[in-house]
Amino acid sequence: MNRRLALAVAAAALAVAGCGYDATVVPAPEAPEAPAAAGPAEECADDVAGLSPVRSYAPTGPLPAPGDIEADPDGSTVERIKAEGTLVVGVAADSFNLAYRNPETGVLEGFDIEMAKEVARAIFGTSTPQNTQFRVITPAQRFPLLQEREVDIVVRNMTINCARWELIAFSAEYFHSGQKILVRRNAGIDDLRDLAGLRICAPAGTTSIQNIETEIPGAIPVTAANDTQCMVKFQRGEADALSTDDTVLAGLAAQDPYSEVLDQEALTDEPYGIGVNAEQVDLVQFINAMLERMRRDGTWDEHYDRWLRPTLGDPTGKWPQPQYGRPLP
Amino acid sequence: MTQTPSGAAATAPVPQATGRPAGRAQQPRQAVPAGGATAGVPAVEDVPRLLNRWQVIAVTACVLAGALTFGLQLLSWNANRSAADNTEQLVRVQNIQATFARANALATNGYLAGIKEDASQTTAYAEAIDLITHQLADAAEAQPADRQVLADLNAAVTDYAATIETARANNRQGFPIGSAYLEAANTTFGETAQPMLAALVSANQERADSEMDAQRPWLVVLPGLGAIAVLWWVNRQQAQRFHRRFNTGLAGAAIGLAATTLLAAIVSLGQAGDNDDLRDGSYQVAVDEAEARTAANIARSNESLRLVARGSGAAFEEAWASAAAVVRAKASDGTLGLWESYAALHDEIAQLDDDGDYDAAVLAAIDTGDGRAGAALQAFDTRSVETIDAAATATTDEIRSGNSAILVLAVLSLLVGLAAAGLTAWGIAQRRKEYA
Repeated sequence: MNRRLALAVAAAALAVAGCGYDATVVPAPEAPEAPAAAGPAEECADDVAGLSPVRSYAPTGPLPAPGDIEADPDGSTVERIKAEGTLVVGVAADSFNLAYRNPETGVLEGFDIEMAKEVARAIFGTSTPQNTQFRVITPAQRFPLLQEREVDIVVRNMTINCARWELIAFSAEYFHSGQKILVRRNAGIDDLRDLAGLRICAPAGTTSIQNIETEIPGAIPVTAANDTQCMVKFQRGEADALSTDDTVLAGLAAQDPYSEVLDQEALTDEPYGIGVNAEQVDLVQFINAMLERMRRDGTWDEHYDRWLRPTLGDPTGKWPQPQYGRPLP
Repeated sequence: MTQTPSGAAATAPVPQATGRPAGRAQQPRQAVPAGGATAGVPAVEDVPRLLNRWQVIAVTACVLAGALTFGLQLLSWNANRSAADNTEQLVRVQNIQATFARANALATNGYLAGIKEDASQTTAYAEAIDLITHQLADAAEAQPADRQVLADLNAAVTDYAATIETARANNRQGFPIGSAYLEAANTTFGETAQPMLAALVSANQERADSEMDAQRPWLVVLPGLGAIAVLWWVNRQQAQRFHRRFNTGLAGAAIGLAATTLLAAIVSLGQAGDNDDLRDGSYQVAVDEAEARTAANIARSNESLRLVARGSGAAFEEAWASAAAVVRAKASDGTLGLWESYAALHDEIAQLDDDGDYDAAVLAAIDTGDGRAGAALQAFDTRSVETIDAAATATTDEIRSGNSAILVLAVLSLLVGLAAAGLTAWGIAQRRKEYA
């Protein structure tokens, strides 16, 4: 049919119909669920036993050689793990130099990953993909997975505190971190007072966000799902700074040459420990013996030098002397 | 039938004066049958005025019937035309949706592969984004009502592509922040673009369905039937006064209108039936297959994201299973087998990961060679595109093929209505002559 005629007829038909279509409308999205509040900031200095949270179970003796550990499914926790042939470790995978997946090799790498591998080496003699099974977990999964024994240990920059001792057990402190601030390089920010009126991002539902509100008056807290999402906001100009543990910030700063970690005293103390099921005290003691050996033979320094020294500098104060004396349950 | 007066002169209207009436004002107010008033006919009435009135009524009825039938059929024609246009637009936006899902599947898999990413996959991703850009422009031109949402969608696609590039750049430098950008891109895809695409699909599906449902056979016959009823009534009035059973003009007009009304009913019923068949046939196949294609690519994205999230991919595996259920419910017979081939390979990948052999799972997931998951999904996708194209073309061709008949019939209805009006006027004029 002649196109002009068709258009004329269509116009006539539309005139008869007397209408076009209503504009397409996208339904308004449902309001996202507000993240759970972090709860009151950890104020207890001591746990229920009247002990400092960093006090762990003392090793029963020197670390046994891997060859001396019996593979016994009905034996101790360590012997059971050896019998099963696999140590299941809960880790992070988005913290550069701490725990991340190397895109070139596909392998998880970083300081925390090395700590986990050291546990595997202490049990099996070597750490291989077969005997060390990493499971990337979220912060919220750390406690339930340990309680349900879905993982044997959690090495995920996890702060030891007395409330968490109610849920799980911790090794002795293996790294002393603290909450700091990452800002744009040459942005004229020298100390916390310069942050008033600026947007500072921290993961939603964490104590970091509360610390910003209490420690940096006038700052505008901005939330994201996690630290790296905060970094995305920072790089996109949706946040002026971000705040979390210095170990994480160091990794983020290493990925962005236009950012730097503010040289300041940490807002908080974050002693990292390896998480273990509360009933598996023997495994905690075994790990503490392993940490003692690492201190003596320089293994810890070796891992620190490789993964963290380039961004965090001198390790002084990063690995305090272990504290023991926690009574056995 | 002849128009010769029949029967006794006593039954014929009797003029008061012989010869041509002097004029309306002088017309006698009588038409007295010799035997007195017949049933329903007043004893004294102004017949010429009645004739005029009947003529006006009958002619108006015929013209209205022609015009209304013409208008209704024009609406039917336009509805079919719009149904075809809306179907094309629906296929267009579903194509955008599926192509976007395909692009995301390629991008997430490419991220998982890192520097091992297959170059052909990188090219396929770039081509998919380029195709989406063109599809968006075409869709915006085709449907003004979609323009605002398409403009917003275009912005989302641009943001998505830029975020993927940042993810890729970080990934290639070995920076894990790339995964945060990949996550952000997936959020743009899932939470910003998908609601827009769902709204576009829903709006165009509603429009296409509504237009296909716009054939109203009972409505098309109403003007014709109404006019026939009026002609019957006028004929009856005349028969009572002139003792002629039928008026040739009225009868001819009624027959013409009845014929076109019947024809209109048959064509309209046929078109309505054809549209129903299409909705259950090729149209539904096109819509369902597009939905299956989108779901299949979303599943593939979740397979990659599961592995990117190494060890904590349970949520992504659940999302894979949900998407797989959609594919199994919507895919055509021609593509379902190809999907199952891919699904079996996915199960192997998931099993490797579950067994702790993560590296092997990744290698299996990023391998695009023959017999591997990437190739299997590509085979499904290619066949799916062919199925959608064939079904959509069949649908629009079928709708458009029957539309010319409706337009011809519309014009015919108008002409017959006008002709019926002429016949009616002529028929009543004959009575007026007799009366004179």
